[in-house]
Amino acid sequence: MSSDTAGPYERWVQGAIQNPSKVYKAMFVVAAIFFLVTTLFPLYWLIVLALTPQDAISNVGLLPNGFNPGAFLEVFQTVPFHWYVFNSFVLGILTTAVVLLLASLAGYVFGRLEFPGKAPLMLLMLAVSYFPPAAFLLPLFRLFTGNVTFLSLPGGMELSSPMLFNTPGALVLPYSALFLPLSIFILTTFYSQIPDGLEDAARIEGTTRLGALFRVIMPLSAPGVATAGVLTFIAVYNEFFFGYLMTDGQAQNWAPVVWGILNFQGQYGSLYNLMAAASIIGVIPVAILVVVAQEKIVSGLTAGALKE
Amino acid sequence: MGNVTLENLTKRYDETTAVDDVDLEIEDGEFVSLVGPSGCGKSTTLEMIAGLTTPTEGTVSIAGRDVTTLPPKDREIAMVFQNIALFPHMDVRDNISFGLRLRDFDDAEIDRRVEEAAETVQMGGMLDRMPDELSGGQRQRIAIARAIVREPEVFLMDEPLANLDAALRVHMRTELQRLHRELDTTIVYVTHDQEEAMTMSNRLAVMDGGRVQQYAEPLTCYNEPENQFVAGFIGSPSMNFYEAEVTQSGVEARFFEITVDLAEFGLSRGREVTLGVRPEDVALSDSTENLAVPTEPFEATVDVVEPVGDEVFVYLRLGEEGDGDADQLLMSIPPGPEVTDAAEGTTYRLRIDRARVHLFDAESGEALLHGIEAAPPSTTEKRETESRPE
Repeated sequence: MSSDTAGPYERWVQGAIQNPSKVYKAMFVVAAIFFLVTTLFPLYWLIVLALTPQDAISNVGLLPNGFNPGAFLEVFQTVPFHWYVFNSFVLGILTTAVVLLLASLAGYVFGRLEFPGKAPLMLLMLAVSYFPPAAFLLPLFRLFTGNVTFLSLPGGMELSSPMLFNTPGALVLPYSALFLPLSIFILTTFYSQIPDGLEDAARIEGTTRLGALFRVIMPLSAPGVATAGVLTFIAVYNEFFFGYLMTDGQAQNWAPVVWGILNFQGQYGSLYNLMAAASIIGVIPVAILVVVAQEKIVSGLTAGALKE
Repeated sequence: MGNVTLENLTKRYDETTAVDDVDLEIEDGEFVSLVGPSGCGKSTTLEMIAGLTTPTEGTVSIAGRDVTTLPPKDREIAMVFQNIALFPHMDVRDNISFGLRLRDFDDAEIDRRVEEAAETVQMGGMLDRMPDELSGGQRQRIAIARAIVREPEVFLMDEPLANLDAALRVHMRTELQRLHRELDTTIVYVTHDQEEAMTMSNRLAVMDGGRVQQYAEPLTCYNEPENQFVAGFIGSPSMNFYEAEVTQSGVEARFFEITVDLAEFGLSRGREVTLGVRPEDVALSDSTENLAVPTEPFEATVDVVEPVGDEVFVYLRLGEEGDGDADQLLMSIPPGPEVTDAAEGTTYRLRIDRARVHLFDAESGEALLHGIEAAPPSTTEKRETESRPE
């Protein structure tokens, strides 16, 4: 086949064989478009739904059936949605604080100390983190509703588990346990890369091992700490399972965002336009966080991988 | 009073003994170097003094106080590290004041001391820089300022100059000596560089295999090494060693001998010894003005000539050409046309300064005799002690 008689497609194939980078570029474009459509289309669809008035909600096409931006205000009037967002925010911050503190201590031990059984222990911890959360639900539910008796004292006194249902404790505790392994893993990698000399210098200068961790090792691992923190916060903010089951859905009882969205369903029928608007509002804090922290997250996630 | 006392100090890891029963008495204000090849236990010893490593056995006392179980922060020490170890996230001022801020000094006092320490290391105007804006030498100065600002009893230095380039290293060496003179504080200095140790210290602790091989002043280690290890380690280039045997007429190596009645020194005939000769104690047979008591001449063949400027290192072969087992001899002599132009294979007649040869026990390596003079002196102590040109 000579090139002067070939059609445009054949000429393109010929060119691609001689210059494969053209093909890779085309493949990249196709993959990127696919990825963007699958991730962004649902978001677009949410906007379409939110803008469509409640009474025109059937047979919605690619454009909204009407224009009702008031839905974004109605969200807060029908249900105290801001309260749910606040609850999720506080739960996320609390969990992140607990996780960073504990994961720092554990990361120091795993990353900087030698002890027998270190590798098996790390593996066990990672393995536990892969258990389905549903496996923990029933025992935790009984525990947090005061139904587990630890100790029966003579004279009828009993030492029972605390009543944590409808309090932040019932969510922060399981969240911390669930998201701790990932943070430990990230921080272990980071802390192990801080030169021993810096820790030694801090200890000679007057800190304890713990002081060296918080004054020198942690600040120097800032990208890792930020990564672990942001990932934990987002995971908690997005969490559905425990958030749905460990509270009764009342905003004043620490019910998270997911409850807020679901509360548009039920007694008024299903207010899909409000649910869509609430979903968009709920996404905003996380979206802002990701945009602000994305550089640190990317460098944090790849730093460990590149160095070891 | 910053004296440091180590008693029976031992560190064992699972299989290996890093430091083996070390006893060391370091006086207040003394500059002592722990020197030895890598893996000899010198850094581990220093880490045990610092409290960064816990000894398996033995005690560490600083300023008369048993600190064996105290954490580093309570030992009144400061340390300068090989990798410098400035905190990269703090500026120079915060680096220097780190230890003071942990100890609740008031702000005015901290400022005064930081300025003073920075002046001492000639880094006065650099307090607001970050460590990564400084050169290697400047960083090391800041690390030293961080150490002196707390006015500790003892400075520990773990190869602080090893990461600097050669010119800077020599410069910082004199700086450290000046600093030691100004501060008049005890310094324990770890290095693998025997020259560094020789030039800076009041006393050397030469270590090998986790043990102190000799603890003495630098020139004593050089002139009267207690064993073959110290003899080989101290001095550059290092000493030539030959298997030899005590005979009727003296001591006989394979290719030369030194005639003397060794019975006078308590060495019986037939005893196997190792004969040690420093490169600078060998000379051409017709220019022996540097030798106190020259031996009879013997022949050697030139292998390689290395002129280094003020002296020439000549690697020679003793014995026949093609003898795979021939002894090597390294000679260090002043440059001159007769050596710098010498081609490989030239044969020289050489003499050794018998007043400066060393005899070691062939088995244990213990020193038996330093210097064989023409007439055996009444005691082995009495020998040439004149200072030697380096």
